[in-house]
Amino acid sequence: MLHRNADGAPCALVSNIQRYTIHDGPGVRTELFFTGCTLRCLWCSNPETLRPEVQLGAYPDKCLSLEKCGRCLKVCPEKGAPLQFGDGGIIKAVRENDTCRTCLRCAGECPSRAIRQWGEWMTVDEMLKAVEQDRSFYRRTGGGVTLSGGEVLLQWEAAALLLEACKKAGIHTCVETALNVPTAHMEAVYAFTDLVITDIKHMDTQKHREFTGAGNERILENIRRAVELGKKLVIRTPVVPGYNGDEENIRAIGAFIRDALKGKIVQYQLLPYRRLGLEKYDALGIPYPMGDYQPPERGEWEREITRLVQMLSTEYGIPAAAGSGGKLQL
Amino acid sequence: MNNNATCLTSEENVRLNRDTYKYAGLVDTRPQAVEPFDKEWGVGLSGNTPNPSPFERINKILSVTQKTTNGFVSPDRAELVTQAYKEHPGEPQILKCAYGIANVLDNTPIYIYPHELIVGCLGCDKKGAPVHPEFGLNWVVNEMRDGLMDYSDKRTHDYFSYTRETQDRLEALRDFWDGKTIEDYTNAMLTDDVLKGSHAGKGVFFADAYVFCGAGHLGIDYERLFRLGYGGIRRLIKQHMDACDLSKPEDIERHTFYRATLITTDAAIRHILRYAALAEEMASAEPDKQRAGELLKIAAICRHISENPPRTFWEALMLVNLANTMIHIECNGHSISYGRFDQYMYPYYLHDLETGEATREFMQELIENFYIKIWDLNKLRNHILIKTFGNGGIGGPALTVGGIKKDGSDGTNELTFMALDAHAHVRIPCPWLAVRLHAGSPWELKVKTANLIRLGTGEPKIFNDDVAIPSMLSSNVDLFDARDYQVVGCVEPDVSGKSYGWKDCGHMNIARVLELAINDGRCINCASDCPRWERCGGAGGQLGLKTGSLADFTSFEQVLEAYDKQMKYWCDRQVAFLNAVDLAHQALRPLPYLSILMDGCIENGKDVTAGGTKYNFTGPQGVGIGTAGDGLSAIRQLVFDEKRVTGRELLDAIRADWAGYEELYAYVNSDRVHHYGNDDDYADSLTKFAMDTWCKHIERRPNAHGGFFQPGAYSVTVNVAHGQNQWASVDGRRAFEPVSDCMGAVHTKCCSHDVKGPLEILRSVTKLDHARATNGTLLNWKFSPSALAGEAGRDSLIALIEEYIHRKGMHSQFTVASRETLLAAQKDPDNYRDLLVRVAGYSAYFVELNKALQDDIIGRTELSFD
Repeated sequence: MLHRNADGAPCALVSNIQRYTIHDGPGVRTELFFTGCTLRCLWCSNPETLRPEVQLGAYPDKCLSLEKCGRCLKVCPEKGAPLQFGDGGIIKAVRENDTCRTCLRCAGECPSRAIRQWGEWMTVDEMLKAVEQDRSFYRRTGGGVTLSGGEVLLQWEAAALLLEACKKAGIHTCVETALNVPTAHMEAVYAFTDLVITDIKHMDTQKHREFTGAGNERILENIRRAVELGKKLVIRTPVVPGYNGDEENIRAIGAFIRDALKGKIVQYQLLPYRRLGLEKYDALGIPYPMGDYQPPERGEWEREITRLVQMLSTEYGIPAAAGSGGKLQL
Repeated sequence: MNNNATCLTSEENVRLNRDTYKYAGLVDTRPQAVEPFDKEWGVGLSGNTPNPSPFERINKILSVTQKTTNGFVSPDRAELVTQAYKEHPGEPQILKCAYGIANVLDNTPIYIYPHELIVGCLGCDKKGAPVHPEFGLNWVVNEMRDGLMDYSDKRTHDYFSYTRETQDRLEALRDFWDGKTIEDYTNAMLTDDVLKGSHAGKGVFFADAYVFCGAGHLGIDYERLFRLGYGGIRRLIKQHMDACDLSKPEDIERHTFYRATLITTDAAIRHILRYAALAEEMASAEPDKQRAGELLKIAAICRHISENPPRTFWEALMLVNLANTMIHIECNGHSISYGRFDQYMYPYYLHDLETGEATREFMQELIENFYIKIWDLNKLRNHILIKTFGNGGIGGPALTVGGIKKDGSDGTNELTFMALDAHAHVRIPCPWLAVRLHAGSPWELKVKTANLIRLGTGEPKIFNDDVAIPSMLSSNVDLFDARDYQVVGCVEPDVSGKSYGWKDCGHMNIARVLELAINDGRCINCASDCPRWERCGGAGGQLGLKTGSLADFTSFEQVLEAYDKQMKYWCDRQVAFLNAVDLAHQALRPLPYLSILMDGCIENGKDVTAGGTKYNFTGPQGVGIGTAGDGLSAIRQLVFDEKRVTGRELLDAIRADWAGYEELYAYVNSDRVHHYGNDDDYADSLTKFAMDTWCKHIERRPNAHGGFFQPGAYSVTVNVAHGQNQWASVDGRRAFEPVSDCMGAVHTKCCSHDVKGPLEILRSVTKLDHARATNGTLLNWKFSPSALAGEAGRDSLIALIEEYIHRKGMHSQFTVASRETLLAAQKDPDNYRDLLVRVAGYSAYFVELNKALQDDIIGRTELSFD
């Protein structure tokens, strides 16, 4: 449902606006991360975007300690019940015991930004303004805006409004989505979307469910539909050795792209797994789902990805690439 | 490879090399004699590559070239100059100087090293340094005696070795030079009121750069030298000399100048002929036939160019190297720059290709050899100066390529690309490359430049014609001269061969000026342990002008007014100091060799130090721009807008170095306070005010050699030294931390104040008035290698550079190294000997820098695009 603020202006819950990104679509882009997600991928590097709500994050390193500050305690209507402190200061700012009303006063008062607010309701106009700031760069580089997440299509109505406004402003638009959403929602934004970036995390639906919390049927169906509609599509696999990095799975994806999609995609990218977002898990007080998992030595793994890319190009004839640093032939 | 393989705009070339980028991990970085324009050398590799050159000869020379700035002290020059001065005790100073350099050029030892095709040296071994007693001998001998020159715990880099004999020979000269130096002469002209805030006092400003060495910072007129040759210069001098009418007093002075320049011209000719003789002698004893042939060729070239204009690329390059090296022998002023190399050498390049005299490959090899010759030069520095100018080597040998020509059209040519490739092929920190770009620069040059930046050696720097040229026009430089500018030293745009600019002669800590402005002229840490206490604070006085206290100000306008008045007070004193040094140079150290190479000196019959050439400037820098700007912003927001603290509380907090004010310290350093570097007009406009006020009080002040002052806006590395002189400040700096570097944002121990990203930095920095800082500006960028990987990384870097140019930023430099790499290098220097980083204005071996400077570089905000 489309969320509106007190003035009736349409809004979206956004966790972050990242400027000057270069890997999610062509050129230099501004990327908006929408909050809320339908998947729970083990390797997710944006845990702050999973829950569709404003959250608090705690950064113990930055805390001045209760002794020297303590402003958060003073302003908390629950007398600090949702906040946990250790010797050096804050450890967690969570709502496990449901006492927190997310009034955000503690984050507002904290002088050192040891307590931070994740997620903000922004109006479409505010988002558009943020995007327009870097327009001269989009022009120079063929860049534009990328809506990402979380799952941007959970807020498909606001996304469609923003994308439409961007198109009117002459800005190239890209949507990065897992596509685990109703087809109608996907099609609603496509009218204003120049490029779609999506993932195939595994071809075996059982394993897909095991690693992401959902099967892959709807995703694959939506990908087929996107190609049918003639959408420009980049497909990615975040390659996690021991999970989905085996040759058999990559071959199955290659076959799907060749046979079901007739190879009609812009690029298929194999992205090496990186252990990212750990500090955000810590700040949110959530354990990292992959635990102590360490990928193989980077050079070795990158060589393996390069080999798989070669294999996909020569044996399957699809436009495969290692990483997201190559130029997209649009 | 043949010469036609790479044509600059060949579409085929683009297509052929497209494959290079197919896979981010599979880039062929092997060097080739002729490189495609979009050759990739990898990202963030820096110098860590064995045999980087495609030429066996160059790799051989590199293998015996040390990667540190340490060398031997040579006493020969000092003795030979002293001998000449003693033989001509009563003659005019300029003649003494001429006899001095002539004696050195005739008698100092000279060397030709194995494999090299370009000759010339400072009269000592590779990386050795001569001594210039004219600028002080006592410090040299004292440091030797006190163990501060050779390697020790107190001097772990940039150290110089010497023999006992060298020390004795220099000691023996000491009496002669005692009391005769520039420092003695300058100090005799100054009062305590001028000295108190200087480097010799409380360090509000420094003006010592040219007290202990020459002014340097110039490039000679190479085209004129090529046209005339030393023989033509001699004829020109004679012609003017003959026209002198000695019954006119001014002509007596001119005549003396011509006598002096004839002495130096003839000495230069004889010096080059000494190399011819040495090469012939070595050839006769050389068992390797090919090398013997090379030596004979070197001899023939030297014989020819000793008097005549060069005819070929090799001859011209040899003349450039020898003419420049002799400038260093005459005087130790650094940043003797190599001008617009791709422009003045281009006719010879074309000539050699057309006549078949040389191939492009051979000329590439010569350029690479030439670069190593520049790195071989060295300069003696004291143990204090190396802290602010670590690993500087000879210092400032800039070489400029690209940009528009005198007629306004783009000047990019094959040599532009060859000069840049040569750096990738030698990976030493010399010369200091500058690429001039403008709105119409070709895409191929941007790609070449971006790929070299991505290599991560810190080279080259980018200069923006679209700002530098209007900026020069505003200093009364003629249009054609302005378009023909070169970059000298670290940062400064300069009219090639026509300007004695006294660039980088001093610097003002404008953040310290703000401190005095808000504390009624007193240092914030004024206390009885200060050496000036008895005659200053202790006597009821204060260091600066009484401009009121933040504790009493009732409006923010009063803060701005106090800063303005305080700035004028200190600029007056800095100008006084610098002009005194200028007068001392004219009296004691005229430069009759340099004068023959600078346009106009012979025609005017006047030495270059006295204003003989066409343009005459003096350029000190404002330092701590971001620190001053964030300071003003914090005061306005916290004291006057939010009223979160009183002015008195804020002063108390910094007086206590924030102890007991942790909450305020965290707040001031957080993104709740408006900070420069985030495209936030609130802070950016105040930062602009901080810089403009500095410019206003310096620009156009008359100088002592016939021109006027030009403000600069950069710190190079003195932001570290100025920080060590300054107590805590209101922007959130703790005592003795560096002030902000160049035009960059503040980064305190607590955190970086620029938190948004490269585009916001770019927009903030370009809100400052770069063109007004006629002595140059600088922004240092630091990128993590991952941000620049792949073709997408390359093209977004180009977009960033284009936007910087479009928004009228003057100058940018880039470090591409991850924080992890730099920390690892600190821990394990032996494995990172070749790691070159951009310091500011120049690149240096990271492990050769002192810890404070290393930390400063590590602390610069690392930008990442993803």
